Amino acid sequence: MTATLPERPAARDPRAPFELTHELGGLDPEPVHTDRLLLGAALALALIGAVLVWAATRGTDGSSFLVRHLFNTAVGVVIVAGVARIDVRILRGLAPFGYAAGLLGLIAVLIVGSTVNGAKAWIDLGSGFQLQPSEFMKITLIVAVAALFCARAERRAENGDERTEPITSDILIALAMLGAPLGLIMLQPDLGSALVLCAAAFGVLLVAGIASRWLVGLLAAAGGAAVLAVHLGLLATYQLDRFKAFTNPGHDPLGAAYNITQARIAIANGGLFGTGLFHGPQTNGGFVPEQQTDFVFSVAGEEFGLVGGAVIIVLVGIICWRGLVIARRADRFGQLVAVGVVCWIGFQTFENVGMNLGLTPVTGVPLPLVSYGGSSMFAEALALGLLVAIGRRAGQDR
Amino acid sequence: MSSRSRGTGRSAGRPRGAGRLSVAGVLVMSLILTLLGRLYYVQLLDRGPSDQYAANLRDGRIVLPAPRGEILDATGKVLVGNTVAQVITVNAQTLAAQPDRGRAVLDRLGALLKRSPALLAKQITPCSPKVGAPCWTGEPYTPVPVSTDASTAAILAIAEHREQYPGVALQSTSLLEYPNGTLASHLLGYTGQVTADDVAKDKSLTDSDTIGLSGLEQQYDQYLRGTDGSQTVRLDPRGIAVGTSKTVAAIQGDTLVTSINLQVQKLVESSLLKQIQDSRKQGKAATSGSVVVMDPNTGRIIAMASWPTYNPQLFSGGISDADYAKLVAPSANAPLLDRATAGQYAPGSTFKLITSSSLVTHHEITTTDQYPCPGSVAIDGRVKTNYDSEHLGYLDLTNALGYSCDTFFYVPAADEYYNDQARIAKGQKPLEYLQAMARSYGVGTAPGVDLPGDEQASGSYADRAIRMANWKANKATWCAEAKKGYPDVADPTQRQYLTLLASQNCTDGWRYRAGDNADMSIGQGDTTMSPLQLAVAYSALVNGGKILTPTLGWQVVDGAGRVVHTVDAQVRRKVPVSQTLLNYIADALSFSRGWAVSGAYAYIGSPVQNEIGGKTGTAEVYGKQDTSWLASWGPTTKKNGAVNARFVVVGMIEQGGTGAKSAGPMLKRIWDGLLGATGAPVIAGSRAPAAPAKVPPRTTVTGGGSGNAGAQGGLSTPSVTPTFPPRTGSRR
Repeated sequence: MTATLPERPAARDPRAPFELTHELGGLDPEPVHTDRLLLGAALALALIGAVLVWAATRGTDGSSFLVRHLFNTAVGVVIVAGVARIDVRILRGLAPFGYAAGLLGLIAVLIVGSTVNGAKAWIDLGSGFQLQPSEFMKITLIVAVAALFCARAERRAENGDERTEPITSDILIALAMLGAPLGLIMLQPDLGSALVLCAAAFGVLLVAGIASRWLVGLLAAAGGAAVLAVHLGLLATYQLDRFKAFTNPGHDPLGAAYNITQARIAIANGGLFGTGLFHGPQTNGGFVPEQQTDFVFSVAGEEFGLVGGAVIIVLVGIICWRGLVIARRADRFGQLVAVGVVCWIGFQTFENVGMNLGLTPVTGVPLPLVSYGGSSMFAEALALGLLVAIGRRAGQDR
Repeated sequence: MSSRSRGTGRSAGRPRGAGRLSVAGVLVMSLILTLLGRLYYVQLLDRGPSDQYAANLRDGRIVLPAPRGEILDATGKVLVGNTVAQVITVNAQTLAAQPDRGRAVLDRLGALLKRSPALLAKQITPCSPKVGAPCWTGEPYTPVPVSTDASTAAILAIAEHREQYPGVALQSTSLLEYPNGTLASHLLGYTGQVTADDVAKDKSLTDSDTIGLSGLEQQYDQYLRGTDGSQTVRLDPRGIAVGTSKTVAAIQGDTLVTSINLQVQKLVESSLLKQIQDSRKQGKAATSGSVVVMDPNTGRIIAMASWPTYNPQLFSGGISDADYAKLVAPSANAPLLDRATAGQYAPGSTFKLITSSSLVTHHEITTTDQYPCPGSVAIDGRVKTNYDSEHLGYLDLTNALGYSCDTFFYVPAADEYYNDQARIAKGQKPLEYLQAMARSYGVGTAPGVDLPGDEQASGSYADRAIRMANWKANKATWCAEAKKGYPDVADPTQRQYLTLLASQNCTDGWRYRAGDNADMSIGQGDTTMSPLQLAVAYSALVNGGKILTPTLGWQVVDGAGRVVHTVDAQVRRKVPVSQTLLNYIADALSFSRGWAVSGAYAYIGSPVQNEIGGKTGTAEVYGKQDTSWLASWGPTTKKNGAVNARFVVVGMIEQGGTGAKSAGPMLKRIWDGLLGATGAPVIAGSRAPAAPAKVPPRTTVTGGGSGNAGAQGGLSTPSVTPTFPPRTGSRR
């Protein structure tokens, strides 16, 4: 089969579904081999994260979190550099294995995982190292669904069927591929990661060109599922509490809404320029729980103010923009992966910063690259490496 | 719709992919823009509600208890020290925030501490009308200490696996330590957690403080207590700690240097214990005993002991109810009572120092004439006998003291009584010379030693006014008892005796008789003194007649080595007795007179016999065996013609028999040690030092800081004093 390693003709790949790179080339005349802007923004976020993590933890743990975050960042850089050098086609070939490994990880975590803050999401590797399989599932799912759509379209093309958009059977397989990790993640339970997975999958489906009725149907099904989940008690009590706290902050300001309130106080303390590094009273007092991970944005809000918070959001915006640019230039597989990654990073940032700002319900997801946490850092590094690899290939194609 | 054409360019079938990519881009970018807008709103426009939340927070104070100061002997050796203990605390609020309400953590902790998780759960639950002991008596936000004696393995397990023990923290705290065990326990005293009453009385105290409850710990508490540190925590309206704001370290209490000499104290306590054992072998009950060793020239106490004793370590970190019940059980015979200072006993013949002083000073007898010492005399129709009804013919005062003749003193004491009665008949006030002399020597007044007031007996004596006042106060009770006739007493003889006594007291209890004065002259009747009072009285004999305030504390030194308080020797008064008479009495009782002095019996042939003098006492107590006394001094010298000694040693064995046979041999062991009769003296140069040891500045600060492990969720947990189990028993 040629599904995994399609032969590449010398001139142009006749099976390439879209040649947007050629069309859009005029919009971005610079030849891009390695997207320095993308990597620069990512590294800046990771280093800002190091400072924020340090500010949040130095009172209780000294510099140990800082050191570990910098270590994670260094490992991330190595991962980006490594993945970016690999041919995208090889990565595409690895997609089924990555997906299977991700699923196994999610199953393993339910059996041997340790529980932190109510969710059984971590596998203890000993000597303080923990693995969070759901983080890696995000990238492997995106790659797997993209590979699936491409492979099935290519097979159809061999049989003379020229439909490149996913047909019903493709979509059903893709939904099944989403459903398996989704179910496992909801068993942990980790609503935040599940939503991110859905957003990323939706991005891939959207850009893959599924029929509009499918889009409408999927959105309606998601809405219905949410309503059902609330009414049938499928969500854990704390998830409901968080949701109620979000919809009605006055309902229980010191219970479920406590995190929101404390983070909001911290951010409001900041004003335009912030209180200055290490001078935030909320941060120094340890008032915001989980401040080095899910609420790291509140450190930026308090100590660096509106300016600091905006810089972080804009940097994520740059990553998403560069990801979209890469998507436009890439081949079909690369495009789907790039869009999936952009939707993942963008939605997760929205979810995370949104909950810090009282805009979205509290769901435990880290702020990409900024929050403390090895698994998310490494998974995001994998994704960034993939984006760079895709961008390079698009550049070669030009 | 489908895109069947695969050509290049923007054909009709193609836009779905390209358009969809744009849609995705717009969606993602709109999320980013929404965040920027919301950030602007939250950070700059909507600050009101947050300020309101912040105002709901208030401050709570967690006390970081100061380590108590040390107590040293005069040579700088530690009597009460501090030891660092690892305390495991549990923050109940952190546990409650766990999804399983901390059950898993308590299970793990219970396994480590070998304690049931249910008990741990009870211990960390704040007390309330619905929640009884064992419960947590402190503030809900204060971490609860659950163990001070966990194994090293358990402590390491917690330190290494913080994530397994959210809300569990390790702190080092200091506990009092007694390197010499029970030694000097009565002097040092014990500590305990403050009660609500203490806090109400002293505003500087807080609920978690440890204070001295007896002995020097109580007397010098203001110095020893130190200054508590504090940690301020922010509390939300539910009283849940949400963060810490500032920490002030505790300052350890000052060091108290005492005049106690550790070696002498050890010798005294071993001698006392051995005598109790020996006396018991000789068939005596020997229920208790005490010894005082004092420097008669300064009033500084060099050693002081009381038996039975207790281990003050039991109180360190809080005494258990079971241990406390054992200490106060009747069978334990009040080990917490310091018999040397708080016990008062008939002094018997040791009182003849005071009687002789009075009779000679007021010319009722002379030091040269001889007076009869018959086997018995009749006073007021009652026959009073010598010990064993011994008849010794005519004696001068020297021999009357030496042989301890009672009848010698009865006659002039009775005469004094009749003279006073004659004055009363003439409308004059009675002179009551003997009572006045007793007061001069300190009988009836607490000696003022630097121990809590309720731990020093004032002793007692009787005179006409005291009898009358006493009768007025107790008349109703006596008369009622005489009427009832003690139906509860089983023994008919005793019932008869008690009823007769009550009926006499009811009608004639106010009456002071000649026999009462005679009883007082030999330290019986209503006359009582504490061993410490007797030591003060005998110090006056060998220091030129000065009644000194006895002292234990010498200097208080702060952490920087500065002396912040000095206890000076203090003369309360001088007894109105000539130096000639003091010399005469001291000479009369010198052990160099051998068999002619009753107190010398145990010392005949000793190399230090001639350096010591002393007076025995064998006090009769109704229904019990005699109290054995010896009040002694030495080494005797003459300074400018005045008798002087470097030590006064008083010993007492309750129900120990005669002074010569029980207290005598007990003190001989002490004298041998003090004067170096059998080797090097236990105290350098056989002399109390002129100044206490210098205390160097403290180099290690053991303040309320703590090695902090655990406490997930951003809250660091402070050091707290272990106060478990809660001290519920009443204190002595």
